[in-house]
Amino acid sequence: MSLCTRSLIVLLLPLLVVTCCVAVPLVFALDQPAAEIIIQRVEDNLNGDSLVMDFTMVVATQRFQRTMRMRSYAVGTHKSFVQILYPGKDRGITFLKIDNAMWQYVPRIEKIIKIPVSMMLQSWMGSDFTNDDLVRESSLSADYQKKILSADGQMFLIELIPKDEAAVVWGKVVMGVDKGNYLPTKVSYFDEDGLLIRELIYTDVQQFGTRLYPTRWIMLPKQAHKVGHQTTVQISNLVMDSEIDPVYFTKRALKQFSQ
Amino acid sequence: MFSMTAKIAWASLVRRRVRSLMVVIMIAISLWGLLFIEGIYDGMTEQMIDTAIRVDCGHISIFAQGYRLDPDLYKQIADSAVIDEVLQHDQRVRSYTKRLQQTGLVSTAHAARGASIYGVNLQDEERQCSLSGYLYPRANSDRIQREYDFGVKLCGALIGYKLADKLQVKIGSKLIFSAQNLQGELQSMVLKVSGVLKSNNMLFDDKVIFVSAATARKFLGLEGQVSHVAILLNDETQTLAVQQELSREFPQLEILRWDQLYPALLQSRQMMKVSNMVISTLIFCAVSLGIIGVMLVSVLERLREFGIMQAVGTTFGQIRNIVVVESLLLGGSGFILGAVIGGLTLVYFRAYGLDLSVFSTAFEQFGMDAVTYAVIRPSFFINAAIAVLMSTLVSVLLPLRVLKSSQPVEIISKL
Amino acid sequence: MIFQLAVRNILAHKKRSIVTLILIASSTAMLVFASAWMEGSHALMLKNAVEIYPGYIQICDKDFPAATSYDHLIFDASAIEKILNNQPNIASYAMRFESFVLFSGDEKSVGAMLTGVQPAREVYLSRLAASLQRGSYLTTDDTNQIYIGAELAKRLKVEVDDELAFVGSGADYSFTADKVIIKGIFKTGLFDFDASSAFINKKYFDHIMAAQNLATQFVVLPKNPQLAQQVAEILNAELSIKVAEQYQAQSWQQRMSGLVQAMELDSMFGYITLGVIFIVIFFVVMIYTLLAVYGRVREIGVMRAIGTTPSQIMAMLMLENGLLASLSVFAGGIVGGILAVYFEYNPIVISGMEEQFKQYGLAVSSMPTIFMPAMIVRDMTVMFVLTLLSTLYPVLKVNRIPPIEAIHHV
Repeated sequence: MSLCTRSLIVLLLPLLVVTCCVAVPLVFALDQPAAEIIIQRVEDNLNGDSLVMDFTMVVATQRFQRTMRMRSYAVGTHKSFVQILYPGKDRGITFLKIDNAMWQYVPRIEKIIKIPVSMMLQSWMGSDFTNDDLVRESSLSADYQKKILSADGQMFLIELIPKDEAAVVWGKVVMGVDKGNYLPTKVSYFDEDGLLIRELIYTDVQQFGTRLYPTRWIMLPKQAHKVGHQTTVQISNLVMDSEIDPVYFTKRALKQFSQ
Repeated sequence: MFSMTAKIAWASLVRRRVRSLMVVIMIAISLWGLLFIEGIYDGMTEQMIDTAIRVDCGHISIFAQGYRLDPDLYKQIADSAVIDEVLQHDQRVRSYTKRLQQTGLVSTAHAARGASIYGVNLQDEERQCSLSGYLYPRANSDRIQREYDFGVKLCGALIGYKLADKLQVKIGSKLIFSAQNLQGELQSMVLKVSGVLKSNNMLFDDKVIFVSAATARKFLGLEGQVSHVAILLNDETQTLAVQQELSREFPQLEILRWDQLYPALLQSRQMMKVSNMVISTLIFCAVSLGIIGVMLVSVLERLREFGIMQAVGTTFGQIRNIVVVESLLLGGSGFILGAVIGGLTLVYFRAYGLDLSVFSTAFEQFGMDAVTYAVIRPSFFINAAIAVLMSTLVSVLLPLRVLKSSQPVEIISKL
Repeated sequence: MIFQLAVRNILAHKKRSIVTLILIASSTAMLVFASAWMEGSHALMLKNAVEIYPGYIQICDKDFPAATSYDHLIFDASAIEKILNNQPNIASYAMRFESFVLFSGDEKSVGAMLTGVQPAREVYLSRLAASLQRGSYLTTDDTNQIYIGAELAKRLKVEVDDELAFVGSGADYSFTADKVIIKGIFKTGLFDFDASSAFINKKYFDHIMAAQNLATQFVVLPKNPQLAQQVAEILNAELSIKVAEQYQAQSWQQRMSGLVQAMELDSMFGYITLGVIFIVIFFVVMIYTLLAVYGRVREIGVMRAIGTTPSQIMAMLMLENGLLASLSVFAGGIVGGILAVYFEYNPIVISGMEEQFKQYGLAVSSMPTIFMPAMIVRDMTVMFVLTLLSTLYPVLKVNRIPPIEAIHHV
């Protein structure tokens, strides 16, 4: 080989090696998104800019099973408005949430009640969701540090550990995310000692317009004294990113849209 | 002259050794029993009051007007700096603490309970009530140092042991506290349990979470205000005076004494005093009876002797003195003996306490400590001395009357 | 003959006999009275604590006391009613359904307990009706009227005939809300209870809370309240056979053990105090006996000289003491007993003590005694034995003096 070629090779070879060393992992990394990105996409997919949902909630205990139908309007995670449509006993009850505060209107007693702190951990409408769950919906992006536990098969398994300042009771949350549609499949909530407290399962993904959405959510409490309890949410209709009249998120709305 | 009286009195007592000894023992034992009862009852009552005063309200508490009946973040003491000035320059004030308070919900992954946070300064609390002494279970000293601390990030919390039990938390566990702040917004914050307290104050052990004042201030959106100032005085007797002065100085605030906040405590003390007095009276009535009996018989059987003495010139007064001194000697020795063994018993129980853990369920429920430490007051001994003195003097009255009414000649001629 | 001598001696030394008699009789009377008083006041305190609301016997799900949730209800109230109807040793019973609700007045929302009760039956089982302060108590025909504690009414700023709304959960976990009218306000004196309780007719409650044939507990009054524990045992057995292992009957002693222990502690202190007083009296009696006996040394010496054996002397002296003791103890017992009976019906009222007791959940202002013949006999026996023991030493001592010396005793 000529002197030229050899010097070229000598110069370029290290460059090539370096590039490979940098580029290859980068390529792989790009193939596998960061945990942050995954969670962000999941949240986007679940909430969008706005969300209007019609759904049925079935609360089951060892003795009973109750069905309710409701409609909810939400803008991001900060404002939401829920109307109960069925059964007749509960029809007309409305809930308004703005940031951390929640109000409820009960037509039977014609009163607007602000949910006090002491009721925050009581169940919402008798289900396995608490008032707190609905109010806080603590932002997964903001409150947790994320790490990918595994990325085999069709699913990412993300571990979320609450940040020090985050006011969430969980010690750890583990979320399974479908690689294909970036929707959650199962979320497990653990206490500080690693004990499983409850699980939220998302299934039955369906198409609504351009969006894919899990239409069946099942909340399973795992604590010993709640054996046999289960709450299932079945979404029948869903519109995302539409314009929602801001009047829905005022206190007036509680009474106005009651019936 | 007195020494002669004393010698004769002593001799007559010694002559009837068994009898005299019995009286002395009787007085001693009754005194011992009385001191023990007084010391323990007093100790129990004072412990209860002390716990409330030291940890909770101090001798005097300052609140904003209307705060006590309806606690609200809007009703805070605004001029805490002025209060600082006044209290720091008052010699009668031993220490004082300022606290921020709010009621809310404390939750873990397992349970949620209503509770209140107290934003405090740990050094102030230590000075006021040695709060670190209530850390539970008692650990060795350097562990306590770590526990009595809110941590570098000031997110530590000291939690009552009953509350800790209900929430199933231990040191290092995470707590979420939610409450409304000054702006009326619902806020939540993260706390880490840094220590567990057992103060034997029912309210505290079940509902209170101590956090750093800075943390509470930030969380509640308060600035210089405080909810409650608790003042400990050097001398409890000045409570009323200090209260009145402070009320004049700060007419816009509520200045309350501990017995106005917890009238039940004052009643406990009063009831204890009454019951101790009743018991003392009963005991000394019995003691008097004993002494009367002995002295009466002693005088009666020596009538002949006294008759002869009077015949040879001893005045009635001198004989009376002999009898009185006898009685005083009996009372005195009994008192000294009783005071010594009673005093030693009290010293023991003051140091080691009376352990009544077999009744622990009762104590737990009513927030008291199962170990009671006796109290020693000079008044116990002074009152007892007075009582013994009175018993001895009263008990010679009857025998002396008998003596007075008898004629020497008659006595001598009688067999 | 010894007996005759003993009697003669007692009568001969009248002064000494009378003094001893008075001393022992008053001590016995004091012991009887003090015991009656302590037991009486404790019994009253416990009775109050039990009768105001908790009841002598409570039937509920085994897990209910620890976790008061709708998962641990009595799911077939009628089955339990059937069993209770066939129990001969029960005076009355009633069922209750307690639920935690949020009351919303015009200004404030307060969380409290709303309990569905059977108004007519409750009258026999608790002091709710008797604690009426304003308005009127519930009847079996009432609908949405509630009977509310005074302190709770104050917190919510409501009065009789005012309207109040509440939200809560029905027994099927469904959301429940209703408007109610204040029919009556009660005050038991227990601050915590008055600040967090409200009652409503269970018939109406069942209707809005989906609680038909359901209850959180049954409260039972046995025919003889003293036998609460035994009756609870019997009920337990019946329940596990006929209904389910899951339900249990508990007597108040089991449920309120802290309070029971506190009473025991108080009694213990009381008896210790009495003990100290009696040690003193023991000595006093000993001294008196000593004096009396020594006063008769010559007489005893003479008796010995003419041939009476020491054991006969001892017997005579002890018989004297025994007779005196029995007489005094008997007299004291009667006096104490009379006092016990009198103060049972006219209790002592110590004003200024109520605050203390309220803090411990006791609404007390009067302290009665209790007349219990068994206890009086016990006290009399104790005093008798004590008295006799205290005379032992002097008697023994005097017996040891040689006769000749005794005769020459001055």
